[in-house]
Amino acid sequence: MTGAVRATIASRPRLGIMKFASCDGCQLTILDLEDHLLDLLVRFDLVEFAEASSYRSSGPFDIVLVEGSISTPEQAEEIVRIRRETPLLVTIGACATAGGIQALRNWADHDAYRAAVYAHPEYVESLATSTPISDHVAVDAELRGCPIDPGQLLELLTALTVGRRPQLPDESVCLECKRRGTVCVLVTGNGPCLGPVTHTGCGALCPAYARGCYGCFGPREAANAPSLARWFGRDGRSDADTARLFSGFTAYAPPFRSVIDSLGGPPIASHSGEDA
Amino acid sequence: MVMTSAAVPGFLPRAGLDRLLDLLAADGRRVIGPTVGQGAVVYDEIHHASDLPAGWTADQAPGSYRLRQTGTERQFDYAVGPTSWKHETFPPRVPLTIGRRVNGQVTFEDALPAAPPVAFLGVRGCEIAALLTQDAVLARGIAVDRDYAARRAAALIIAVECVTPADTCFCTSMGTGPEVTTGFDLAMTELDDGFVVRAGSPAGERLLERLELTAADPGRTTAAQDAVAAARERMGDPVPTAGLPARLIAAAESPQWAEIAERCLACANCTLVCPTCFCTGVTQVSDLDGFEATAERTWDSCFTLGFSKVAGGNFRPRVQDRYRQWLTHKFATWWDQFGMSGCVGCGRCITWCPVGIDVRAELMAVAPPPPALKAAVGIIEPARPTTVKSVPPAASAALLTAPIPLPAVEELPPTYARTFVAERRRETVDTVTLRFDTSDPDLLAGRPGQFVMAALPAFSAAPISVSRFHRDGLELTIRAAGAATRALCELRRGDSVGLRGPMGRGWPVDAAEGHDVVIVTGGIGLAPLRPLVDALLADRTRFREIRLLYGARSPADRLYVEELSELAARPDLDVGQIVDRAGPDWFGRVGVVTGLFDQGHLDGPNAVAYVCGPERMMTATVDVLRDRGVSDDRIFVTLERHMECGVGLCGHCQLGKSFVCRDGPVFSLAEMGPAFGREGL
Repeated sequence: MTGAVRATIASRPRLGIMKFASCDGCQLTILDLEDHLLDLLVRFDLVEFAEASSYRSSGPFDIVLVEGSISTPEQAEEIVRIRRETPLLVTIGACATAGGIQALRNWADHDAYRAAVYAHPEYVESLATSTPISDHVAVDAELRGCPIDPGQLLELLTALTVGRRPQLPDESVCLECKRRGTVCVLVTGNGPCLGPVTHTGCGALCPAYARGCYGCFGPREAANAPSLARWFGRDGRSDADTARLFSGFTAYAPPFRSVIDSLGGPPIASHSGEDA
Repeated sequence: MVMTSAAVPGFLPRAGLDRLLDLLAADGRRVIGPTVGQGAVVYDEIHHASDLPAGWTADQAPGSYRLRQTGTERQFDYAVGPTSWKHETFPPRVPLTIGRRVNGQVTFEDALPAAPPVAFLGVRGCEIAALLTQDAVLARGIAVDRDYAARRAAALIIAVECVTPADTCFCTSMGTGPEVTTGFDLAMTELDDGFVVRAGSPAGERLLERLELTAADPGRTTAAQDAVAAARERMGDPVPTAGLPARLIAAAESPQWAEIAERCLACANCTLVCPTCFCTGVTQVSDLDGFEATAERTWDSCFTLGFSKVAGGNFRPRVQDRYRQWLTHKFATWWDQFGMSGCVGCGRCITWCPVGIDVRAELMAVAPPPPALKAAVGIIEPARPTTVKSVPPAASAALLTAPIPLPAVEELPPTYARTFVAERRRETVDTVTLRFDTSDPDLLAGRPGQFVMAALPAFSAAPISVSRFHRDGLELTIRAAGAATRALCELRRGDSVGLRGPMGRGWPVDAAEGHDVVIVTGGIGLAPLRPLVDALLADRTRFREIRLLYGARSPADRLYVEELSELAARPDLDVGQIVDRAGPDWFGRVGVVTGLFDQGHLDGPNAVAYVCGPERMMTATVDVLRDRGVSDDRIFVTLERHMECGVGLCGHCQLGKSFVCRDGPVFSLAEMGPAFGREGL
């Protein structure tokens, strides 16, 4: 967040919360900030909030939180317009930051999928790919996760209010496991875990329940996914099974994507339409 | 029946363990010890002997840990697991201070939690060494981590000697075990029917007396010793440490680092399971408005990118640099810093590396012992002591023999002194100078080149060089580079801020006595040099010719413009100024600061140089100075590193063997050696 951007933001900034291709779960996380909602409304002029109200504003906004990936030609145009009019654009969630689970179609035959799902595929205008917002426009900050973490969201909004850089570390999930005293599930054999290559922010939720991280926050900085994939393959796991581990909500994010490619693509793409 | 005394070990039947636990509870101590949880032997609260992992052990290998039942009643038949005692003595999150802002005024108060009495049950030899190692780092330096010191003093150490080392263990190589020889209150050795117990401190002796044990018979005493000796035998000496520090330093450019980085995930697990790793960051936990914020000390790691982030970028972006920093610090520069090894050989980093990187193998690959080198080229010689500078493990053990007396917590200084802005002057478009009034004797006693940590609630504290000392205050010149410095720049007259310091080692003024002085600086780099100029001019006759060479991006980017004109008018000081880009009003030189060296003669062999500016400017300047014959021990530079604590405790600012905040920020080139200008350190 640059000083120039900050300087253009009013004392009670106009906030818009919008969505593209997504399940709305991240917006629900915002609604779930129940104890803080009134405080937030004092500090932010919440002009538009897709999940909470059908009211649509023509803008402009000081800050826009965007949920969802770009999945249709219309969305691809819309995000360019929003970016042009918005000083501070923040993407929220795995769809907006990595393309989401729907980005698995990027490996598949788009027309075949459309024909398998819809009775009249010709009515459905979708792009062959689902891509993160940052593939289309510059993004000022991003909140990862499927869904986003309420703590990180509050930290972002607090930082915007106070005027400091949000503390959103790009380290591995492992640090949080260790800080909270969770024993490594990968080492004890309680399952494969993407935590070492995954962006922190969830508070290391899954390993605390004795299951591996499935990477919903996407790759972290310097994510050495190939090394972890090699390790997964060591104890007899097939390439397809290793690829499946990376083929989740953030499969299309680059280091995960290339690992999946090197292992022959996400297993789902090789199935027939009915199986998928 | 012979009763035990300090000199005679006692025998505690297995059924008597609960009596020990009861005594500890009666003393108001929480007992932390081994228990089975989450598929491992972890340390947690122990209420009854039945909480202990009776009949459990674990098979450990690089990247693998599997619990296994032994079919015996033994309660301590495992090797160290994923948790270490630092969870108790150095918890992952500790609130440090609470900062508040009310009507523009700030206050800071200590938020350190209390440290109630505790007993650690089942501490291994390697783990005692780890506690003593962290004592040296956190409680024996120029600064003391108050929370650590309090927790450490509150802990009673009940050791249980290790007789079942894992395949990942190498305490024998590091000289820390398996025998327990120091740093304990009680030490026990487990036999099939109970424990041989001895005291290692007055507190342990009192506890032993209250246990009212019978003396251990010679058969049991011998069996106990034999069991530990057998453990030693089983481990062998997997990491020959003779000359290891020197070999590692010499291997700084080894291609092996890049090879390790192919496998290393930089996930930080090794550093967090390590019982001696002490690096921390500070996070701000604030309310929505930032009116109240708690600064928390949080476990950090040299493997994260944020760890080595500075305003200008990152000094350790590559994973191979981070791995090298970790390994070299553990096994080499820790000796320079603390006179001991940073590794105790517990093997946690091996077991808990998610991709099974084995530090023993990497050490041998990166810095092979000379015989192995010779073997590699086909010359086979019997292993014998090498001629390389050797630091035997015994030296480490010797340093660990006497536990360090811990300082009394109440004697330690408070955190931030509230200080008021008396004057605010804009220097450039993004830089202001703030003058603070203070009567704080510590702040007033600062020397040129030292810095202070400046804190506002909800912002991370920023290290700022003092740009002038007054009898009743000091000045800070601050550029709005990030959020914290921007908030500082926005302070107005009458506002307050928390200041801590001054810190670090400043410019050595006396080194210039009788010499020519050349001060070379760029941009905001003039700020930390201004008190040096003040000091030189205050005692002008002690020095020969003084030249100040100042470069800036443009005329408008210069600091202290009026002052520079006044200085330039002085007959006893030569001021040269140059800018990268001139405007219509600029009639001076255009170019980079090294261009100023062509004016006037520089008597290199007789000169002392002080340099501060952007990294590239400093490197270029040093090249010219060396070229003109200024020797490395007379070229002083100041470094910008990521600093969180300012007193050598957080680990962020490490550069080779130095903590920049504590040992610097001013260094001579001779002190820095090959570290100057090198990437990735």
